[in-house]
Amino acid sequence: MPSWPTLRLRRQSAPAAPDKPLATVETQHGQRRLAAVCPRAAAMGLRVDMALAEARAICPELTVVEADPEADRAALAALAAWCERYTPLAAPDPPDGLFLDIAGCAHLFGTEAALAEDLSLRLQRNGLAHRIAVAGTAGAAWALARSATAGAPCTVLPAGAERQALAMLPVALLRLDARMVAGLRRVGLKRIGELARQPRAELSARFGPLPVLRLDQAYGAAEAAIAWPRPPAPWAERLAFAEPIGTPEDLSRALAELARRLCARLEAGQRGGHRFAASFLRVDGQRPAIAIATALPLHDAERIAKLLGEKLDTVAPGFGIDAMVLEAEETAPLRPPQAALADLGKPQDTELAAAIDQLANRLGSARLWRAAPHASHVPERTVRRLPPLAARPAWESDPAVERPIRLLRRPEPIEATALVPDDPPILFRWRGALHRVRAATGPERIAAEWWRRTPQEQRPETDLVRDYYRVEDNNGARFWIFRAGLEGMPRWFLHGLFG
Amino acid sequence: MPAPASLAVLRARLHALQPQAGHGVLPFGDPRVDACLPEGGLALGALHEVGAAGIEAETGAVAAGFIACLLARLPGIKPLFWIAPACDLHAPGLLAYGLDPGRLVLVQTRDDAETLAAMEAVLREGAATAVVAEAGRLGRIASRRLQLACLKRGTTGFVLRRWPHGRTAAVQEATAAVTRWQVAPAPSTAAHREPGPPRWRVELAHARGGIEGAWIMQAGGSSDAAHPLRVVAELADAAPAPAVRPGRAG
Repeated sequence: MPSWPTLRLRRQSAPAAPDKPLATVETQHGQRRLAAVCPRAAAMGLRVDMALAEARAICPELTVVEADPEADRAALAALAAWCERYTPLAAPDPPDGLFLDIAGCAHLFGTEAALAEDLSLRLQRNGLAHRIAVAGTAGAAWALARSATAGAPCTVLPAGAERQALAMLPVALLRLDARMVAGLRRVGLKRIGELARQPRAELSARFGPLPVLRLDQAYGAAEAAIAWPRPPAPWAERLAFAEPIGTPEDLSRALAELARRLCARLEAGQRGGHRFAASFLRVDGQRPAIAIATALPLHDAERIAKLLGEKLDTVAPGFGIDAMVLEAEETAPLRPPQAALADLGKPQDTELAAAIDQLANRLGSARLWRAAPHASHVPERTVRRLPPLAARPAWESDPAVERPIRLLRRPEPIEATALVPDDPPILFRWRGALHRVRAATGPERIAAEWWRRTPQEQRPETDLVRDYYRVEDNNGARFWIFRAGLEGMPRWFLHGLFG
Repeated sequence: MPAPASLAVLRARLHALQPQAGHGVLPFGDPRVDACLPEGGLALGALHEVGAAGIEAETGAVAAGFIACLLARLPGIKPLFWIAPACDLHAPGLLAYGLDPGRLVLVQTRDDAETLAAMEAVLREGAATAVVAEAGRLGRIASRRLQLACLKRGTTGFVLRRWPHGRTAAVQEATAAVTRWQVAPAPSTAAHREPGPPRWRVELAHARGGIEGAWIMQAGGSSDAAHPLRVVAELADAAPAPAVRPGRAG
């Protein structure tokens, strides 16, 4: 797409009427120069890199917009994502191109030419001037798409014809930078065919490895590395629809079908997925996605479809969805279930895992845990959280230490009255209600853990020495209260409740 | 369609409509309590409701202790789920009621609706021996769904009625729970101003197929007792004599 920045501007913000010339400018070495020109402006003789003043002299009605390479790149990436309707491998090629790897996809449209024509038609309808080339190598396709000799928007190169087709094209089409092209021109190498006839060793010695590499890439002798935005996932299934779908029933049916296909493959490979993502390719180019994670590797189609189905209502179908992809993003080999004799009576993990997966995907995995003991005297640190499928933590009962059944997240200050400062209070007020103490045990002194010392001024008042009392009020309600600090006026806090 | 087949279909439908066979009971081990409950004990695979009044409706401390005592006696080796919006259940505190906190899977939710939905999901998977949910609002429909889910997989469910601070609801709504308990703290036998083992006033406010009753129970105490809850007194104001109540089971 030779004038991508102006095409983007016309589509996104329409700064000028469609029949008026448009150009973007950037500042180069203190001079305002054109960065991109629309086809109409190009027809009037404007060229990229022309000074803005000169351009204005040629074409006074030119609309000029500041160049925004970031937005251009983002729009190109969005277009690449849209092109995933043709192939899962679609990559933007900044500044103005796209790579589509249509190997194995062309037959879905009949032939390669039919696919290219379909793409061309859709781009045309959206007002995107473009040229498409289909070739056996990315380098050849790049050169052909940009060669001025190609008249029609679509060129399909038969397999193995790269050498012939490229021979007469200028060397600049080998994705070489301007300095290198100028250097090659100086020694008389203007066309790719001429370059190919030169001894390779001498070329490399003089111009570095790049010209030879690019030549090899164009001819298919070397691999071209393209940064695909979505690396091909080995565990993905795709379903394209003849007509865009949108109702929740259709979506969940399609999801179940995808899950069934993916799970059949996972099962054959003796693998299970940890994380699954379903993405929905909408007709307007958006790609909403939902994802789930499971505690155990899973290849149970029904459960995957059920877990994903719970999130389906977050997917807005818009004007319709024309393809869906289900992908297992993380897989692990399945351990074959081996029942030990001692485990025969134990419950099946799968039921528990199913329940935990459901809750974790609904609430977030941090909201499920098993409580395990942690060696600390500070009450709020005596419990450690383990993942819910961890082995059962071992708790030991110590009758000497009685702990409340409810522990407040933060100790709440109470107004307490004690006869003697060292005694438990005889009455206290908590949350507006007065409690008269009938019986009390204590104190149990719990000191702060000195090894976690924080600066004095940052420490809360409660993070000092605490003297805990278990008190029972006149109604029989039991509380766990403490007096904080050693000197000064005692401050009382309520930290927990006993049943 | 041949007649025997349609008859079989009708029989199957009739069977589905009939109340399912029970999943057994958990007796309290005291005839004064067990006589009030149908089949002589707390029904397993059913939904029970435990509530409290006053400040206990906010803190849910006695109710949690009461449920912990029951959970400790439940047969079954699957884990126990405790689902609540507030995560103030202190695991070491459960040891005093004979419940091993290692059996618990704790779940924190955001609101009542989420709590009840999570409870239903666990009940339907049959992943737990028992599920405890702390929720304030429990409608007739939600409780009916939960009760059916309990019945289906034989999982015992407890709903601890608890309200956030300052939002206690006064109205008592009708629910589909099999029993409704109302618990409150009661003064313990304090010797030398030292609190004794905890005592609760436990009221069976509603029992399907049973009768109401109220007792003072003592938790813990002698550790070798058949049940961690021991009835120390029967309250006179509880209910009329069992004989005059129609429809009493057993």
